[in-house]
Amino acid sequence: MIKIFIDEKAIEVEKSTTILKAAEQAGIDIPHLCYHPAFPPEGTCRMCLVEIEGLPSLELACSTQVKDGMKVSTKSERVIEARKGVLEFLLAEHPPDCPICDKAGECSLQDYYEEYGQFENQFNEFKEKREKKVKIGKNLIRDMERCILCRRCVRFLKEVTKTQELGVFERGIHSEINILDGVLVDNNYSGNLAEICPVGAMTDSDFRFKTRTWFLKKGESICPLCSRGCSIFIEYHEGFSRFTLPKRVYRIRSRENHKVNGFWICDIGRYGYSYIDENRIDKIIVNNKEGGETITWEKMVILLAEKIKRLYYIKKTSRIALILNTWLSNEELFLINKIFRNDLSVENIYFTDPPEGEEDDLLLTSERSPNKRGAREIGLDLKPINLETLADKTDLLLIFGSFMFDQFNLAEIKSALDNIKMKIIFATHSNEMNSLVDIVLPMSLIAEKEGSLTNVDGIVQRFSPVLMAQGECQPEWKVLVNLAKELEINFRYYSQFSSPEAILDEMGKKISFFEKKSE
Amino acid sequence: MEEKLLTQHFGIENLFKIDVYLKHSGYQAVKKALKEMKPSEIMDEVKAANLRGRGGAGFPAGVKWGFVPQDIDKPKYLCVNADEGEPGTFKDRYIMSHNPHLLLEGIIIASFAVGIHKGFVYIRGEYETIALRFEQAISEANKEGFLGKNILGTGFDLNVFVHRGAGSYICGEETALLESIEGKRGNPRLKPPFPASVGLFGCPTVINNVETLSNVPQIILNGAKWFCQKGLPKDGGTRIFGVSGMVKNPGIYELPMGTNLKDIIFKHAGGMKDGKKLKAVIPGGMSAPILTADEIDIKMDFDSLMDAKSMLGSAAIIVIDEDTSILDVLKVITKFYSHESCGQCTPCRVGNSWINKIVKRIAGGKGKKEDIDNIIRLASNMLGKTLCPLGDAAAMPILSITQKFRKEIESYIGN
Repeated sequence: MIKIFIDEKAIEVEKSTTILKAAEQAGIDIPHLCYHPAFPPEGTCRMCLVEIEGLPSLELACSTQVKDGMKVSTKSERVIEARKGVLEFLLAEHPPDCPICDKAGECSLQDYYEEYGQFENQFNEFKEKREKKVKIGKNLIRDMERCILCRRCVRFLKEVTKTQELGVFERGIHSEINILDGVLVDNNYSGNLAEICPVGAMTDSDFRFKTRTWFLKKGESICPLCSRGCSIFIEYHEGFSRFTLPKRVYRIRSRENHKVNGFWICDIGRYGYSYIDENRIDKIIVNNKEGGETITWEKMVILLAEKIKRLYYIKKTSRIALILNTWLSNEELFLINKIFRNDLSVENIYFTDPPEGEEDDLLLTSERSPNKRGAREIGLDLKPINLETLADKTDLLLIFGSFMFDQFNLAEIKSALDNIKMKIIFATHSNEMNSLVDIVLPMSLIAEKEGSLTNVDGIVQRFSPVLMAQGECQPEWKVLVNLAKELEINFRYYSQFSSPEAILDEMGKKISFFEKKSE
Repeated sequence: MEEKLLTQHFGIENLFKIDVYLKHSGYQAVKKALKEMKPSEIMDEVKAANLRGRGGAGFPAGVKWGFVPQDIDKPKYLCVNADEGEPGTFKDRYIMSHNPHLLLEGIIIASFAVGIHKGFVYIRGEYETIALRFEQAISEANKEGFLGKNILGTGFDLNVFVHRGAGSYICGEETALLESIEGKRGNPRLKPPFPASVGLFGCPTVINNVETLSNVPQIILNGAKWFCQKGLPKDGGTRIFGVSGMVKNPGIYELPMGTNLKDIIFKHAGGMKDGKKLKAVIPGGMSAPILTADEIDIKMDFDSLMDAKSMLGSAAIIVIDEDTSILDVLKVITKFYSHESCGQCTPCRVGNSWINKIVKRIAGGKGKKEDIDNIIRLASNMLGKTLCPLGDAAAMPILSITQKFRKEIESYIGN
């Protein structure tokens, strides 16, 4: 560790760090555009110039390494003037179209102009003609009028995906970011380009003109679409239910997490969010009663508990079967294991999950559900369904999710379920499965509930609700705790589980894998 | 009459052929260096000779060689900068077309001193015949055993290759040149690291100008002291001045370092063409700040010109007479840099184009009062703030012209 001074503030930093990183640690903001922590410094935007005592010219904060005793000024008159100068160059031919730019509100150039610019426009010349709207990728629209040539996009495709679809063409003022003839940016990480673009030059056609960034709230969550469990932000319209607007969620963005996903997420996770708002159910549905009788959750849990208790007292819990999936959280799988396998000695526990997909060497795994590892660590056997055995041996079937459709067709499922007396589904979405069962229970999604997931590498990650649960939707863990209490087999034990956190604590005591993780 | 070191044999028929060159004491320096001297002795001699880089920056060549780490298991490379792109400069082409083996000798000695076994000569794209002639010289030297394996039985190996540029000014900037040899777009690199430690293909690299290396054989044959006597103590040897513009006899003149600019124009180059009056001189290639007619009584060496807030650069002297509009000069300069900016960094990319647009507007009769101050402000915002020296190279002449000839430019702007 060495000691340096930034704006007269003494700070201790690592020897090999740069001025920009050191300043960041000290809470001092040095404006930068081309620098991105994922890449080596580029040094081309010239926004981060700072004054170093004893050196004649201004130096780059992004690439200059600190030296013991170095005295850096980030706010001297020379620095402020230089920043203004660079901003004036960047904005000379930049279109004043913030009002229709998707980046407005989260644009670095806009922010820096507010903070360090504020000059009168003195550019009285003809602007270069540039392409305004060109589709250059699956979901990417490029606007060369807005581009500041930071080359983050070029470097991302060179260094991260190694696909190199983009390059700089022409030179000088005519420089432009472009693709080779007709070869679009079409890789599973292309959405990151719109995210790392510091201005509105690269916009995402999925988000384009849909809303304004300042209407969006963002919440931290975990992507459930593969077992990597990338950290994400869910960005949504707050205060609107999905009934008053077509959707709540407007985009998914990556959240920096160096243990899991670094700076990036894949396009499957980024664009696959429509399930959160589309086709959801939010009421308990009882199918066999005519006229659609309404029933409260309280009554529902009592009814279910009665069914189970009857089988328990006549020692026929072997006639209970469960179909689980690994979208369930660690806590939920633990509760199910505890209640049904340990307390009730249920043996017929099956799993259905989305079919495996292709993996890549970056983030995407072949497991397209978030918690297979968690289920295994809890001790559950990820046994596939045998429809015949299921039909023969079951009186009470509890189904979690609708993934049976990925394995069987409707007729197969129907003929099997017809043999079973009582079928209850814990569902998030409305689909044909729901008409085959007796009772449909509306469930919350990961984005709407609390819990933890164990990713492919065994990292246990907790998540909190970002979105409000809709209608009568409840998280599975809550229903399970209430059910367990109602069963009265071990009332006091289940009474302690007032939150997923309490369950995870208990898991840490019982399962060594979760021991340290629950701290 | 001044003694010529580099151009002394110019004019001898077929000097570019090795048999003719050998008849005029050719390759004596290589023999002496490789057989009688240790690499460290060569390096010390060149350091003591104060041989300063002839490409423009004037950095001492021996010191530059010394920056190359010796205890490293990577290969080391020599790159000869023969891109000669600075407007007004036409000295290296003469050396390479008249006396290519002199440069080859310099390459061999420098490589031996630094421990280099591979050299690249980056010749600008337009110099086609020169590139062919130089390739011929390389194959002759290979045949005679001055290149290739086990040179002169000393065990030293060296191969030299010609790499031709594709026509971009910026590729004369040393790191852009490296990128270009690597087969990439010629964009300057961020420094540090400097090429001496991380250069061509990520390996330690020495980059020297043609004229710089061509001076090395003389230093080896005659010693550092002799070399300094031919020029100045801190700035040894001669300089090939390329005089162009409105003089009677434009051309190259090899003269001692520190020769007076006035003498070069009026004695050596025969004075002004058609008896016109001198208006201004650009003393060191287009990037050098302009000197007015009153300022030309000056010694032409790196330090004297720096004191006069100009620079010796590539020693290309561009003479401007009274009939030449300074606005035209500014138009040519700003158009050139605007065209040649690689576009990587903001101030150079936008600044040069912006200033060029203002100058063109003034020339088109639509100038405004505030334009000159704007040009000065924009050029100042480029100066010292760009990634490579091109931004400075553009800002310096623009600033000096607008400041020194402000009245004349104002006369082009109506009320």
